[in-house]
This record gives sequence, C-alpha cells and structure tokens, in this order.
Amino acid sequence: MSLPWKLQETFSPEEIQFIVENEPIKIFPRFTTKTPVRDNRRGTSTGQTRWKLLTAKDESLNNLVAIRTTEVALWIALLLKQQGKCSIVAPGWLRLSQLQKYIDYELKNTGRFSELPWNWLVVARLLFSKAADDLHDPVHLLREKVQDLREIRLGKIGQGLKHLNESHLQLDNLSLLEINELRPFVLGVMNKLKDVHSSISEEQEEE
Amino acid sequence: MSYYDIDDILADATKFPCRFNYDIPGLGYLEGNIGKDIKKNAKVELPLWLARILAIVGGDPGLSSVDDDEAFPFVELMAPELLAPRVINAIKSGPATLDVHSINSHFYALAIKWATLFNDRDLVEVLNYMLLERSQEIRNHAASIDLEELAQGRDVSTFMLTLDEFEKRIYRDSHESCKDMKKWLVQR
Repeated sequence: MSLPWKLQETFSPEEIQFIVENEPIKIFPRFTTKTPVRDNRRGTSTGQTRWKLLTAKDESLNNLVAIRTTEVALWIALLLKQQGKCSIVAPGWLRLSQLQKYIDYELKNTGRFSELPWNWLVVARLLFSKAADDLHDPVHLLREKVQDLREIRLGKIGQGLKHLNESHLQLDNLSLLEINELRPFVLGVMNKLKDVHSSISEEQEEE
Repeated sequence: MSYYDIDDILADATKFPCRFNYDIPGLGYLEGNIGKDIKKNAKVELPLWLARILAIVGGDPGLSSVDDDEAFPFVELMAPELLAPRVINAIKSGPATLDVHSINSHFYALAIKWATLFNDRDLVEVLNYMLLERSQEIRNHAASIDLEELAQGRDVSTFMLTLDEFEKRIYRDSHESCKDMKKWLVQR
C-alpha cells in the first residue's frame, strides 16, 4: 500500500517527536525583535524581516526582548537554541528533586502511574541532547532519574499486561510514547481475545 | 479475518475428518477414486472451507432413509486431532511450553472457527487462558533479548519455533515497535 506497513496502525517515534515539538515551551531569548516605538511611528523603514508563521503564533516571536522569558513552540525553541540565540527554560518537572518525588510515588503506589506530563519522555530526551547546558541540574544525574522512572514504569506495564481482556484497559497517566510502544502488542492480543469471545456470543444472547 | 487474508485462506485449507451421511453419486474423487460414488458413513478428510459448508447444508428429508423429520447435513464433522483432549490438557498444564506450531501453524484461527461452529464455551475458556499466558512470554521476548542465555551459548529461539502464525505476527509487530523505540532513544 502507499503507506508502509509499519505506519499503518501506529506512529513511529519520530512522528511522536513531531507531535510533541508543537507544544509551547519557555525560552530566554538572547536577541531583540521588538521594534522600538519610535520606529513604529516611522513605519517599517528599518527593513527588518518579520516572522510570518501559519501553524504557530508569530506574535511572541516578533516581540522578543533579550533576557525576558516568552513562550514559543518547542521546534522554534530548538532551532533558535541551535544557533545560540536563546536558552530554553526547563519545565518544572525536569529537576532532580521533582523527578525523585515522581520516583517515590511510583515505588509507593504499585497500582498506579505518577502524573508525569504526557510528553515527558520526548521532552526529556530532546532537552538532554540539544539543551543540556540550560538544565538546572547536571545532565548525567537527570538522565539517571529519567531512566529509573522509565524502567519502573516499564515494570508496571509488564504487570498490567497480565490482566489484558477482550473489552477494556485503563492506562491513566501513561505517556504518549509509552502507549505508542505498547500499541501493536496490546491491540493484537486484545483483538484476538475479542475474536475468541465473539465466537460464542450468539449463544449468550439466547440465554 | 477478511476474504483476502492469506493466513485465513491457508487456515481454511486444513483438512478435518468428516463422515458422510448419504450415498452420493459421482463424488468419489473426494476419497481418491475418481468416477465412483461416495458411500454413506465413508470417512473422508475434507478441507475446512468445504467441510464447513457441507456440515451445515443437508439433503432432502424425504429422500433420507432415516425416520427423523430433521434433515441430516451432508457430512458430519468429527473432532480433529488438533483439538483432541490430550492437546487441551497440554494447554491447560502449561501454555508457555507448548509447541503450538507443531500441532498446527494456524492453531488460533482454526480453534476460533471450531468454537464458532459448535458454540464450544469450554474451548473458548482454554483459548483465552492460553492466549494470555503465551502473550506474556511473547512480550518478554519482543522487548529484549535475554543476554544471559545468549552469553551461555544456549539457543534462545526455541520458544520462537513454537509460535503459531498469529503469534508470529504479534511478535514481529511488537518487536519492531520496541526496536524503533530504543533506536530513537539512543540516537544522536
């Protein structure tokens, strides 16, 4: 078919990254794009190029003031960061103390997942590889914690999959990437369980 | 299971033992003697696509020699080898160590078709248990390769050789998914 079989029922991790890159994130710009008021009165005689975006808000980008935080889409932040034109403000959960709290919660509540944001794994990986110098804590320690979290949650997922059935499954607070990894397995098994059960459903209705 | 599903077509070609309820002229080629008639109570192995239909449609009740008003179907399906009591007992005792592939490479598909034909509730329960137990094992194999066993030079693929066609597909899909995920996590 026109779509390769791997992508027919699920997303690739790259597509998940693409989705997450549309989320807003805070940055410290290192340059100013805001036109001074006196320039405004004279019109755009300075000939400065302006951002004109169709898919993201360009308002904040045209009003950047150096060292004043603003929110932009993550993909723009990563582009600017690459050129050294901004530094990214790490989200509140991406700190050692906060991650430790999540780990403690995960260990205490074996039946539940902690309330990490839906994109935690992707954001963490992107910031670790592209904005490691902007994080509050040393990257190798953060990496360790994120890896711990991932493994604890993987263990819980393994436990949860023992209770697969033909009708439903509740996965509160599981992140998009984790769901995406599970999708082919869970859907395949649950569909087969449904087939197995529906093979005698007519009799049940008669009863 | 759709019309064009290759695995479904292959599964439907599996032969099931059947017994004829009528004398039918000209059908001897099903038994291997072309041009002859087929006798009542003849035991023939028929592919499921044929047996399934013949076990439902029947002869004219007036013509049949039996006294019952009810028309017998042309053939009667007999319990196949792949669902014999010893297989069911083997499943109940340990699904993960069972060599499903040697029983039949389309075990689940056939078992589901059988359960549909006979409304077999016990079989459905056994299948449910088997599918759940084996899928745990499949996930373990799909998520990681057991390095310890590899290092000791033992054959890790013995479980892989026992998978039926449906399980192979599940394994392939979930393994690809885990692999892509790991690749993405470590890149750059």
